[in-house]
Amino acid sequence: MASLELKQEIQEALKNTTLSRTLGNFCATYPAKREKSYAGVDFEATRNSIKEVKSYAAEHIDELVDEFTKNCTARGGHVFRAKSTEEAMDWIRNLVKEKGVKTIVKSKSMASEEIHMNKTLASDGVLVQETDLGEFIIALEGNTPVHMVMPALHLNKEQVADFFTEYTHEKNEPIIAEEVKTARRVMREKFTTAEMGVSGANVAVAETGTVFTMTNEGNGRMVGTLPKIHLYVFGIEKFVKSLSDARYIFKALPRNGTGQRITSYISMYTGATEVVSDKDADTKEKKEFYAVILDDPGRRAILGDPDFREIYNCIRCGACLDVCPAFALLGGHVYGSNVYTGGIGTLLTHFLVSEERADEIQNICLQCGRCKEVCGGGLHIPEMIMKLRERSYESNPNPVYKFALDAVSDRKLFHSMLRIASVAQEPFTKGTNFIRHLPMFLSGMTEGRSLMSIAPVPFRDIFPTIQQKVENKKGTIGIFTGCLLDFAYVDIAKAVIADLNSIGYYVDMPMGQSCCGAPATYMGDRENAKKTAELNIEAMHADQYDYIVSACPTCTHQLREYKQFFEEGSDMYKKAVELGEKAFDFCKLFYDLGGLEESGDDTPITITYHDSCHLKRELGVFKEQRELLTKTNGINLVEMVDSDVCCGFGGTYSIKLPEVAAPILAKKIQHIQDTGASLVAVDCPGCLMQIRGGMDAHELPIEVKHTAVIIAEKRGLI
Amino acid sequence: MSTTDALYERFKANLEAVNGECSLAAKADAAKVVADLFKEKGLKTTCVAETDFLKELGIVPALKDAGVEVFTDHIRLHAETAQGGISEAQYGIADLGSIMQIGDEVDARIVATMSEDYIGIVRESTIVDDYDAMFDTLCEMPEIPNFVGFVTGPSRTADIECVSTVGVHGPLRLYVVVVQDA
Ligand code: SF4
Ligand code: SF4
Repeated sequence: MASLELKQEIQEALKNTTLSRTLGNFCATYPAKREKSYAGVDFEATRNSIKEVKSYAAEHIDELVDEFTKNCTARGGHVFRAKSTEEAMDWIRNLVKEKGVKTIVKSKSMASEEIHMNKTLASDGVLVQETDLGEFIIALEGNTPVHMVMPALHLNKEQVADFFTEYTHEKNEPIIAEEVKTARRVMREKFTTAEMGVSGANVAVAETGTVFTMTNEGNGRMVGTLPKIHLYVFGIEKFVKSLSDARYIFKALPRNGTGQRITSYISMYTGATEVVSDKDADTKEKKEFYAVILDDPGRRAILGDPDFREIYNCIRCGACLDVCPAFALLGGHVYGSNVYTGGIGTLLTHFLVSEERADEIQNICLQCGRCKEVCGGGLHIPEMIMKLRERSYESNPNPVYKFALDAVSDRKLFHSMLRIASVAQEPFTKGTNFIRHLPMFLSGMTEGRSLMSIAPVPFRDIFPTIQQKVENKKGTIGIFTGCLLDFAYVDIAKAVIADLNSIGYYVDMPMGQSCCGAPATYMGDRENAKKTAELNIEAMHADQYDYIVSACPTCTHQLREYKQFFEEGSDMYKKAVELGEKAFDFCKLFYDLGGLEESGDDTPITITYHDSCHLKRELGVFKEQRELLTKTNGINLVEMVDSDVCCGFGGTYSIKLPEVAAPILAKKIQHIQDTGASLVAVDCPGCLMQIRGGMDAHELPIEVKHTAVIIAEKRGLI
Repeated sequence: MSTTDALYERFKANLEAVNGECSLAAKADAAKVVADLFKEKGLKTTCVAETDFLKELGIVPALKDAGVEVFTDHIRLHAETAQGGISEAQYGIADLGSIMQIGDEVDARIVATMSEDYIGIVRESTIVDDYDAMFDTLCEMPEIPNFVGFVTGPSRTADIECVSTVGVHGPLRLYVVVVQDA
């Protein structure tokens, strides 16, 4: 459960207008920039190679560290493998003392932030100068990075000018080009006088003892060229076996990070390079080169946990942040680890920084899956966040939710509650389709939002009265309605049946079915999720039908995943597999069964389509419904910007974190309005509820309908 | 167009796309091209990290003739004040407009890092097709040199308000002179 503090931090982030403008602009232009940078490069193949070389490294990590140590030492370097962050810091502290270092220039190193290097050395009277412009600015501000790749995104040029004025004791104008010049000037002096340089590695190569640093500003090159002592600090996750393995990472890193095909500098240091020891005498010698490798228990925990091992494959490109709707809104500070942000930051925070903090911030994830599409290391970020959520729920269940979810997994209890709700809500709906407060246990979870009203008669009571006319019957399909179709959107269920009847399929409704279990899953309540899985597997009798249809992609996805709850080979597992294989979302099934000929009422209407996260990314369906719609005469389909960005519903998300869900929804509504469409087609009742609620709140006359309903209406099937 | 010229054209286009400048010179003209560049850009002082090839091209005498103050030693000291920096780059990558700095010599690294205007001299015959070809070449080396660097255009940042700005800690401007050596 998101705590009050987190909610307050979220409010603060939402109030930062610079952050929302800069981050908003960046995130809006990022996908196209990224796409362009991949021209001629196969992203999928690249990330598969990354996965391969990183997985190899994860499995052979001890060998690789030893090999690196041997090779780096042979080339004149010194390597220290630290078994804890404290040990790393102590070792560095001693080195700095022993060498009499007073000034350090540092190029970006997240590992050094993990061990609190700047603070610790500062307390010893050593100046640690951040040289990356963004890092320098936030150091002046006394803040932590808001973004992995662009740390000072939350500040505007006016604020930067003020910090610079204070720092240089000279007036700095708020002109970006001038500010960059100031940074060059003040940093030059540090580069040329510092006794030690500290770098972070993007990759370390075992076979050659090489470390890689990638920068745009050239500060990394300065740090590696000028000071006589050079220290690298990085974690064991940076290792790959061979030089050739490293190539894949640098193919994806700049493209994913900033949409560049390559950054200005990629530098490889192998052992001790030459350095000028006395500039006046022009003498040269080999520099002192040190590598401190973090091999702490947190990193080992990642490697030792099969559910999370994939985290090792992360190349820290930041792409997952740039496409994340929650991150685009909030930036990194709310994640609060001081080092790692966004979805991946949640996972890293859990292992490397603080489990308690991770428990909090996992709530921010909408489970929309957008990060997974672009991830350079092919990580299943949302699934892993879900695992964290499950573990957190197991060890600390929220009593209100627990009660609600227990009730939901008890079909009879849940259904009777919904029936009571249907009657009890009457006075609140005031003739509109929305209510402000749902009665019963749901009320505590729905504050401040328009939710749908509960249907006066549930679909399960209507179903037996439906006359199905099926000519040339081809088969029978079982319908899984899920709670929303059964108790709220009965019109969608009716349309699905009419549509399927029209292409020769009879539809049956197994009455024992209940909630698909997604709410429990998304709250992290695996026990109740499993209970509903068992119940539905038995109730749906998949063996008796040709297919199972659902008009809710979240339900469909849930049905398809039931097998994960059971032991492989068990009877339940087999039944779960059969159900999963027969379950399809309406559009996909309808399309695959032949769809419809071109027809329709020819009444012109402009429609825009919103992709549900689950349908697009989990079920991979996005072309079918568009084709079904455009084949319907009269429909003019206009694409909206970011049609596949989450609407903010995210299962129970809009209930948990309405302060985040609301602005995400507002953005969606804006994109819809920009198309000029009078109707939004959706395939998910959750999205439908969310977007309709938004239209209602904004008092906009734009309708929102399920594709099944639009097809049925435009073709006169209902 | 010969294959080398086609590589050069791609190299140039890609370098220009990242704010670099590029010209092609016959071996005999290379020194003059560099000296003209100094005149055109108004550069009065420079450090040069000499190599046999740069000596063969006669870069330093040509610059001196053109009235440029040239430093070939005490590079670390003079780089603090000299405007220009010249060094030989070991490879070019057509597909990216990158040049490669390979080797341990610190002077070469200093001039390419500290100068405001950096001029890289690269032999046309060393321009490889793409990133993968370059990596293959590196991987085939019997021992990886102490330093290998990809340099692609001048230094840049987008750290303030995401506005792309050229020239931060490294060179503000970057020129590559490709010398026809075949
Ligand atoms: S699943 Fe969506 S909300 Fe969650 S981290 Fe990924 S992009 Fe962000
Ligand atoms: S999780 Fe994936 S997208 Fe995010 S930083 Fe790591 S590699 Fe990049």
